Amino acid sequence: MTDSGGEEPPSRPETPDREGRVPEDKWLLHQRLAVRELIDTEVSYLHLLQLCAKDIRSRLPQLPQGDLDVLFSNIDDIIEVNSRFLHDLQETASKEEEQVFLIGNLFLKFQEELERVYKVYCATYDQALLLVETYRKEPELQREIQSVIEAAVPQAGPSGLSFLLVIPLQRITKYPLLLQKILENTLPADSAYPTIQRAASALQDVTTNINEYKRRKELASKYNKVEQLTLRERLARINTHTLSKKTTRLSQLLKQEAGLVPRTEDKEFDDLEERFHLVSLCVTELKSNVAAYLDNLEKQRLEGLVWKPLCNLARALVGPQNLIKKRLDKLLDFERVEEKLLEVGSVTYEEEAARHTYQALNSLLVAELPQFNQLAVQWLGQILRTFMALQRDLAQQVLQRAEGSLAQLPHSQVSEPAFKKLVEETLGQNGNQLQSFQENFGKVLPPPTIQPLLPGAERQVEALLSRHGPGKLYQVTSNISGMGTMDLTLLRGQIVALLQDKDTKGNSSRWLVDTGGHRGYVPAGRLERYHVAPREEGLGGYKGSCDDTQCLMPEPTPAPASTLPTITQVVAVYPFVARSSHEVGVQAGQAVTILEAHDKKGNPEWSLVDVNGQRGYVPSSFLARPPSPAPWGWNLPS
Amino acid sequence: MIPFKIGQPKKQIVPKTVERDFEREYGKLQQLEEQTKRLQKDMKKSADADLAMSKSAVKISLDLLSNPLCEQDQDFLNMVTALDTAMKRMDAFNQEKVNQIQKTVIEPLKKFGSVFPSLNMAVKRREQALQDYRRLQAKVEKYEEKEKTGPVLAKLHQAREELRPVRDDFEAKNKQLLDEMPRFYSSRLDYFQPSFESLIRAQVVYYSEMHKIFGDLTQQLDQPGHSDEQRERENEAKLSELRALSIVADD
Repeated sequence: MTDSGGEEPPSRPETPDREGRVPEDKWLLHQRLAVRELIDTEVSYLHLLQLCAKDIRSRLPQLPQGDLDVLFSNIDDIIEVNSRFLHDLQETASKEEEQVFLIGNLFLKFQEELERVYKVYCATYDQALLLVETYRKEPELQREIQSVIEAAVPQAGPSGLSFLLVIPLQRITKYPLLLQKILENTLPADSAYPTIQRAASALQDVTTNINEYKRRKELASKYNKVEQLTLRERLARINTHTLSKKTTRLSQLLKQEAGLVPRTEDKEFDDLEERFHLVSLCVTELKSNVAAYLDNLEKQRLEGLVWKPLCNLARALVGPQNLIKKRLDKLLDFERVEEKLLEVGSVTYEEEAARHTYQALNSLLVAELPQFNQLAVQWLGQILRTFMALQRDLAQQVLQRAEGSLAQLPHSQVSEPAFKKLVEETLGQNGNQLQSFQENFGKVLPPPTIQPLLPGAERQVEALLSRHGPGKLYQVTSNISGMGTMDLTLLRGQIVALLQDKDTKGNSSRWLVDTGGHRGYVPAGRLERYHVAPREEGLGGYKGSCDDTQCLMPEPTPAPASTLPTITQVVAVYPFVARSSHEVGVQAGQAVTILEAHDKKGNPEWSLVDVNGQRGYVPSSFLARPPSPAPWGWNLPS
Repeated sequence: MIPFKIGQPKKQIVPKTVERDFEREYGKLQQLEEQTKRLQKDMKKSADADLAMSKSAVKISLDLLSNPLCEQDQDFLNMVTALDTAMKRMDAFNQEKVNQIQKTVIEPLKKFGSVFPSLNMAVKRREQALQDYRRLQAKVEKYEEKEKTGPVLAKLHQAREELRPVRDDFEAKNKQLLDEMPRFYSSRLDYFQPSFESLIRAQVVYYSEMHKIFGDLTQQLDQPGHSDEQRERENEAKLSELRALSIVADD
């Protein structure tokens, strides 16, 4: 066979069956190179990681520990996993023929670990970047960091920290590419081929999962906090984008409600949500009830062991609650997009993103809610049990103290029902005793200051009252003996009405008064304002003796009677000469019996009396209660 | 005419010792009155607080029971039912306790306190009688100092006659109170003894029931013998487990 070109690659003149092998050799060479690359890069990668972890991290003491944790995250774990990985990788170098096969297996073996470890790192990466930015803003700090980095890793360049921090991310995404390269240079017939293929796709999955995980975490932290926005901030947030979002959601919801559009039923999720809802209801209720209970009972332990955990649990509820709400919103978005997809057949990028968001949220919740519910219920159970135990302990404490006191009491041996009876009896006795005390004190005789009025006098008072008004009534505080012709002689307790508070000469200590029958002057000092008092004052009598009168001395009534005993035994103060057959004469100091304290017409100025058997009317004002000592009778006008 | 002035008698009509005794006894009783009132108020507050606490305890278990969570979880249901039974029984005992205290402590306290108004009135009346006595005594002394003329003698006689009943009245009141007051005061010990005993017994009964009920409950449901630190650690563990979930916000 002649070649047209004349120039043939040196491999061409080879026999056909060598022809097959030459590409194989070439491939083999490339494959070897690819494997070499894998191993070499792994070595340098690990070296860099170790530099970061050891030299750089420890030389940045000016950064707080929290920051360092965020920046370098779980770099130690990564180092650990990758060291082992590298070690195994290097071991395969000795087994030439099977190397590729072994490498493939190795990747498969490490797949899970890699995913687990890099997942965490990647999730915190964004936060780490934010931190780096803040450092950049402080030139002093930035310089220090930069110098440390340059000392350890000169090739880091001016963007030292961010350059270093991104390396693990780069590495984990490189693995699939490296594997792919090896795959390309491996013959399909090679026994290692399927392994490598699997490994490549496995590592690809790892990357995808890591991204997904990161995404979910972002979503969760974006939505699970309750945003405390001021009204203004809320308003600022409203723009056309959000408005359109909300309106489309609303219309979707309406369509669902109206039955126009089938709702995407997710039974599993609904059940989960319901259970979650119950759990949260339980927790919040319990929390408020325990609060009320605590108000009435103060207890240190109760607070720490029951109340605080409850509060924590309640707080933990907030996150999932918000996420569930958000999911519902996203669901509406999702459904709309699905609709559109059916109608139109394609969706925009945004809509696609919305779909993904919903799916991500949903799967996150479905995955984690059961766990949450279970944990929450378990915890609730724990809290309740603690509560019970605390009650028991409280009871024990009080019981001990109470029993101690009880032992000191006389009746501690007595059984309960017997004691109750005993107490009742004693109390009954005590009650009686108290009663007697009360009576005794009541028996302390009321003083004879305000004398109860004679029945006749009372009418007299009423007459005076109507004639002069209540402000003018005065009562005589002690017996008045009138000296002059115009002076009145009055008994203590008698009621008069004031006519003038001075006499004709202007002497204000001499008042002109009206007794209802007579008018005259009395010393002002003997008069006291009289209030028409209710008739409840007990009657006590003088326990005095009147030895030189003709008056009768009725026995004083000691009991604090509330009713006024009608006074029938009285004494005539002035002599009275009967002027008609209806009237009867009396002498001064004579004892008479009142039969009626008014005349037939009801006039209180006259009283029907019995004088030694004779009956007739006498002026009521001539009568007085008997215990008044007669001595003043000395000055009676006769 | 010489207007009378209400003067003070020259001689001390009530000996100082008597007056002092009276003051002392009455003072003690006034203190006792104050204390009785305060004790009454405190007992009432305590009884109210007891009732309120019991009610809120019952609410805890009642609400838990009505939560549908119980239907879904058998273990939970058992626990909550047991707790509810316990709470209801405790409430019943509490009610009994409060009733007993009401009967044997609060009522007697009230009765004791109701004697005081009568006592105070009686003391007032004695005071008034004393004033009258003083006044009339001064009057008599005034006349006694004057020249013994006819009208003067007449007035003196009259004044003496007026004085006598008033003095007797005061003496009677004074004696009565001086007798009764110490008796009343010393009666309080015997009076309150059964009440306080009853109070303590009621507490003992209640708390021993409570101890038994909750003791049984914890035996049934809890791991007894858990120390406080253990419980706290369990709580912390649960909290961190929950927090590990991404759906839970970190605060």
